[in-house]
Amino acid sequence: MIWILLVAHLVGVVAVLSLPNPRPAFAVALAAPLASAVWAASRLGGGETDTARLDWVEGLDLAISFRVGPLGALLAVLVSGIGVLIFIYGHGYFGGGDRRGFAATLLAFSGSMLGLVWADDVWTLFLFWEATSVTSFLLVGTKFTDSAAVTAARRALLVTVAGGLVLLAGLLVLVDVAGTATLSEMGPVTGDQATVAAVLILVGSFTKSAQLPFHVWLPGAMAAPTPVSAYLHSATMVKAGIVLIGVMHPVLGAVDIWSGLGVTVGLLTMFWGAIGALRHADAKLVLAWGTVSQLGLMTAMMSLGSGKAIFAAVSLVVAHAVFKAALFMAVGEIDIRTGSRDLRSLSGLRTSMPVAFWVMVFAGLSMAGVPPLLGFPAKEAAIEASLKESGASGDLILAGVTIGSVLTVAYTTRLVLALFSDKGGEPTEVAPFRWAAAAPSVLLSALGVVGYVLAPSVTDWVVPAAATLETTSAGYALLRWPGLDSTAFWISMGIVAGGAIIGAAAARHSSPPEPVGANNVDRLIDRTLDLAKWTTGRVQHGSLPIYLVVMALVASLAVIPFLGSINADQLHAWDRPLQAGMGTAVVAAAIAVAAIRSRIGAALALGVVGLGVSALFLIQGAPDLALTQLLVETVIVVGFVIGLGGLTTQFPANGFVWRSVRIGTAVLAGTAVTVALLASAEDTPSNREALTAAAVDEGGGNNLVNVILTDLRALDTLGEVVVLVVAAMGVLALSRADTARGGGAPLSDDVRKVRR
Amino acid sequence: MIRGRSPVVRSAIRAASPLALLVAAFLFFAGHNQPGGGFAAGLVIGAVVALRTVAGIGRPQDATRWFAIGTALVSVVALAPLLVGEPLLDQVIVSETVPLLGKVKSGSALVFDAGVTAIVVGLFVAVFDGLDADELGRDEVQV
Repeated sequence: MIWILLVAHLVGVVAVLSLPNPRPAFAVALAAPLASAVWAASRLGGGETDTARLDWVEGLDLAISFRVGPLGALLAVLVSGIGVLIFIYGHGYFGGGDRRGFAATLLAFSGSMLGLVWADDVWTLFLFWEATSVTSFLLVGTKFTDSAAVTAARRALLVTVAGGLVLLAGLLVLVDVAGTATLSEMGPVTGDQATVAAVLILVGSFTKSAQLPFHVWLPGAMAAPTPVSAYLHSATMVKAGIVLIGVMHPVLGAVDIWSGLGVTVGLLTMFWGAIGALRHADAKLVLAWGTVSQLGLMTAMMSLGSGKAIFAAVSLVVAHAVFKAALFMAVGEIDIRTGSRDLRSLSGLRTSMPVAFWVMVFAGLSMAGVPPLLGFPAKEAAIEASLKESGASGDLILAGVTIGSVLTVAYTTRLVLALFSDKGGEPTEVAPFRWAAAAPSVLLSALGVVGYVLAPSVTDWVVPAAATLETTSAGYALLRWPGLDSTAFWISMGIVAGGAIIGAAAARHSSPPEPVGANNVDRLIDRTLDLAKWTTGRVQHGSLPIYLVVMALVASLAVIPFLGSINADQLHAWDRPLQAGMGTAVVAAAIAVAAIRSRIGAALALGVVGLGVSALFLIQGAPDLALTQLLVETVIVVGFVIGLGGLTTQFPANGFVWRSVRIGTAVLAGTAVTVALLASAEDTPSNREALTAAAVDEGGGNNLVNVILTDLRALDTLGEVVVLVVAAMGVLALSRADTARGGGAPLSDDVRKVRR
Repeated sequence: MIRGRSPVVRSAIRAASPLALLVAAFLFFAGHNQPGGGFAAGLVIGAVVALRTVAGIGRPQDATRWFAIGTALVSVVALAPLLVGEPLLDQVIVSETVPLLGKVKSGSALVFDAGVTAIVVGLFVAVFDGLDADELGRDEVQV
């Protein structure tokens, strides 16, 4: 079933792209997520676990492996369930037009995310992790004609892919120390190596989940169409980091630095994100910064690692996915129907857009953690988890969660009040109502209430999921009404009251904010590109002799490691005297090539070198090599005849310095090749006999060289010819491109003059 | 340049071409037991291409097609065994008695070698296409 569902996503992508008519693109696209969501929902609360595994290279422990337990089912319901709603919403949001490419990309992203949350092998996880980075890049850059969207997409890609590389390093270290790549087989690890892995993996998850200082990509990603933002920043992309911290908890949770680093960064992010949300006047950016803040809380809870904290984190993941998707959808609806998201200018929307208003109110109350909405018991669980921590660090965590939550209530209050207040003057004009754009958000905000009412059922789904990460999570529950004697309840009420006052005050003052951090990342990227251009300009200057010198020098350096493996005992001057004579002739001809000023003379001398080498092969008893060498020389002579026709008859004179450099390079390269040959001169008769026997038996031929090429080592030959073809096609394409640009003339007159 | 100036050279190349192709064919089939093989055969055909380019007479044109044929041949030989559960590039050797030639032993390696030949020829066609356009074409304009 796991395979069927994942392949269904792939098939869906192809199907959407090949639709003859763009109209049903979103309807076709939502089939695979719908099936996944239904299947996963049927498993909620149950204890069964499904696995799917495809071994690839067993010796290297490489496999594609999935495991769907309670956590996998819960996350799949969020990823695919909200995915279905996003496709419906997308249909309404775009309201027509050809969106096949967009729907296909969104489906590919959804499938990648599903693979990520189901992965049971670190490399499978990494594969899908990178797949979400790439597909989200395409999604954020949907409006690729808009330079802001392009910059934002580039920033998101570079930050998340850089984090992916860090994660890769962390996973390599982890697999080494844990002894397996299968997540469900990993036991807890500690020690220095585990610490290194823990830090690298945490950094990787911070980039994906937009934690400080990597949060800069997330607000910029708001340049994407709202369906993308609503999906990426509620149920999927940004949750990947949280999920990663969760699945790594049983393995790395015991490492000292794990919870300290995660909680510190998480709480700082929660604080900074909330400040950002209070400063912005674009409703979507407020939500984006709010997402950063919420992710901080989830990161902190997930890495805190106590049973209650993990339980709280999983509950928050569920609650956040539901209310944040609803909020984004409502803001997107306002955006497409009014053409604006500015808190300072929109006016009179409470009467003109009542549906969006009530969606925002309910989802907002859930975000603020107010009963009777699902956000309340989840937030309560987080506060209780903080209360359970002892000592000074426990107090700090409680203070951090409390302050962060106050600010959360504040920005939520400000958002709803400012968005729907009457600013005086004319009410904003509103386009007609679209069902497809409104219905999903209504459903999701209603789910906030339903989730609260059915809190015991939600508990039944969340607890087994959390218990797969931390067994002590099993005893907790989402409480609809914790009771008046609960400390957490009073803290919670204090948070709501304090936040509401701050938010109401902030709603009156909106100063246009400066984006912090994002510019620095863009500047860093631009600097890097400038540096790359500069370096390319220096290195690729276009002088063929200098390329040759550089290549020869670098290649010469490569033989240094082989200096030690020369076996001096094996060395002898010659096998047959004839070799000495022929060798001398070759060397003399080579010197002549360098000394002769006439081009055609040098070409002929080069021919002598080639023929001499060919004769040496023959003397050595290698007629095959000799034949090949002879043929190559023949063709090269013809090539020279053609090539020299367009050049002067004499080589240009060189200055003393340049001549010395070339002589030095030639001597060095010659020495290096000699060293390489001496070091590789290994003569093991047994090897040769085995090959000869194999050639006759398996290859059915007596010409050893040819049988090796076409049968025994045919894989090498296959690789070589394929590389050859690819390289040749590339050169052909490049040279044709040059011709095409030159308007048919291969070389301009100026270039010809320079060449002559 | 030679083109258009030396009828002797042109006629000689014209006459030598079929002989050279015969040599190529010999090298190709001899390769399994004697010096030669697909690469050498490709080089000989390449030499023909080179000489005909110099003389300005007709020669194979489309390098891409040669590459395509060659890659297809080697790929088929490489991948076909996988379909019947054998390892990649597994050889099939056939021994048949053919009229005139007597007992002939050959295998799928021959097809593989043919692919190599085609790719080598394609390379020469590509190179001499480039040289032709770059150097000879210019002379033609000036003459």
